[in-house]
Amino acid sequence: MNSIVATLVSGILLGSLYALMASGLSVVWTTLGVFNFAHGALMMIGAYAAWTVSEGMGLGLLPGILAGVATAALCGIVIEYLLIRPFYGTRHMLLVTVMTTLAALIILEKGAQLIWGAKLKQLPRLVTGDVSIFGATISWHEAIIILLAPIVLLLLWRFTAMTNRGRSLRAVGQNQDAAALIGIDVPYAFAIAFGLAAALAGLTGALLGSIRFITPVMGSEPLVKAMIVVIFGGLGSLGATAGAAYVIGLLEAFLILWIGLYWTPFALFLLMIAVLIFRPNGLFGRA
Amino acid sequence: MTSSLRRFAPLLALALLLVVPFLATDSYTRHLFIIAFIYAIVAANWNLSLGYCGVFNFGHLTFFGVGVYTAAIAAKTFGITPWLAIPLGGITAAGAAFLIAAPVARLKGIYVVLVTFAVSQLAMQLVLSQSQITGGGEGMVRIPFLQLGDYSFIRDFKFGYYYVALGLLVLSTLFLRFVVQSPFGKALLAVRDAQDYSTARGISVSRQRILVLVLSAIFTGIAGGFYAIYLRVASPEVFGFGTMSLVLSMVLLGGVGTLYGPIAAALALTFLTEALAGIQGFEEARFIVVAVVMVLILRLAPGGLVSLLDRLRPSRPAS
Repeated sequence: MNSIVATLVSGILLGSLYALMASGLSVVWTTLGVFNFAHGALMMIGAYAAWTVSEGMGLGLLPGILAGVATAALCGIVIEYLLIRPFYGTRHMLLVTVMTTLAALIILEKGAQLIWGAKLKQLPRLVTGDVSIFGATISWHEAIIILLAPIVLLLLWRFTAMTNRGRSLRAVGQNQDAAALIGIDVPYAFAIAFGLAAALAGLTGALLGSIRFITPVMGSEPLVKAMIVVIFGGLGSLGATAGAAYVIGLLEAFLILWIGLYWTPFALFLLMIAVLIFRPNGLFGRA
Repeated sequence: MTSSLRRFAPLLALALLLVVPFLATDSYTRHLFIIAFIYAIVAANWNLSLGYCGVFNFGHLTFFGVGVYTAAIAAKTFGITPWLAIPLGGITAAGAAFLIAAPVARLKGIYVVLVTFAVSQLAMQLVLSQSQITGGGEGMVRIPFLQLGDYSFIRDFKFGYYYVALGLLVLSTLFLRFVVQSPFGKALLAVRDAQDYSTARGISVSRQRILVLVLSAIFTGIAGGFYAIYLRVASPEVFGFGTMSLVLSMVLLGGVGTLYGPIAAALALTFLTEALAGIQGFEEARFIVVAVVMVLILRLAPGGLVSLLDRLRPSRPAS
């Protein structure tokens, strides 16, 4: 009984992290039609920037997290400007932007290695101490992540569904020409979408930096998990992506309990293949 | 004039490459050529699926890695002669390609990228987690090397290895030439350029994609097997972003959808990155240079450098 509760809680924690990661991928995809391979690297940049401000300069964790979010957002906007924007409307834009964001991933990873070195780093926790949930013990920091993720997702959803600026992102995603005709600044919308997604990645990184070690390659495993999430959920809608993130997180936690850490990635992967064979646009995606 | 030059240029290049070991007698220069030949095979075969068929395959290095570990395990753990272990890499790589291709053939657009990419990450995790078989993150070392009777191929400053690598490159190129010029190869171009029309004319796109992935894996896996036997190590880095971006930049620089472009690009980029690695503090930064080169090619010459050359000539129908 205890182990089931503990597994549930760790699954929800994983789901929260995947939801924060994958929602950024989803925002960029729905607005720009670009899959950002550098998303995990932006998360890593957020973690390192948070570490520099918080530990390197000794300014404390909250300014550190803010710096991490801001740095990642800035990197995102620069990536959009230099590596995505020149290729809008070209024939193989989807394929080309996969390659340019891969290039961005390599530049960020190797750049981080040159700047911060290979030594492992870690952030302190937001709140020290543990909390017990129905007999399952997790740290307060992890509990805060679990509580924070739905709030952030809700704010993101409110932004894209309820505000004019957020709606303009969706309009641009649906039809760029029509959006431009009614006076939406399309390039500005692209920059906003990319910056917003990068900020989400930076926030995830800064939060994760207290639980895991910060390394130049820390973003690649979450990126692959976020990919599995968007394959399950389809890339098109924020709600489906977030839902899929929690499903995958819980599934992963229970698979680790049942078949062990080594075989879990395979089970998830086989499941993903099975989903794609029957639903080529994702489990919750529309055909 | 230009067309006959085009026909004989590869033969001329081959003749030059055949005499290189007599001009470059040190083992380091020969080593660079051998590594470049291996990358050339991988890049040219990747071009078959990415460039000719238009499959958004981002897991091509998985086939290479499968070849590397097949040869390493066969030769070291099971004591199979390296002469057999190397082609065995091609067989397992083709098998892996078939398994991946079956679901990928039905997918479209970004989902092909995601699944093929996820496969390569999964392969890396498999290698890392099964450390009792693969050596995990440490990799495998002291893999048996090529021998013919009493003659070791490492001797004479890698003289023997040079010609084995060149021979593999020639075989792979002849194979790709045969595939591209066959009716099947023409059908590939037809589907890439006008999918709806070709489907209407009776070409099965998913069958074609499966076949292309399997065909492109054969020599990639053999190259991987040779890589493991030649370097005598197998490490999970072969699945990493660094190797992938390097080979991808070769495909892009050489021109997507050309036969010899990636080979020339592989030679050029191998020597460039090795030169950079020699500069103090550039061991890691050279990958940044490769990434920047990749973006610049996409920005300035999307058809690769070959397309720039073509632009200088009087226009002719694309071949």
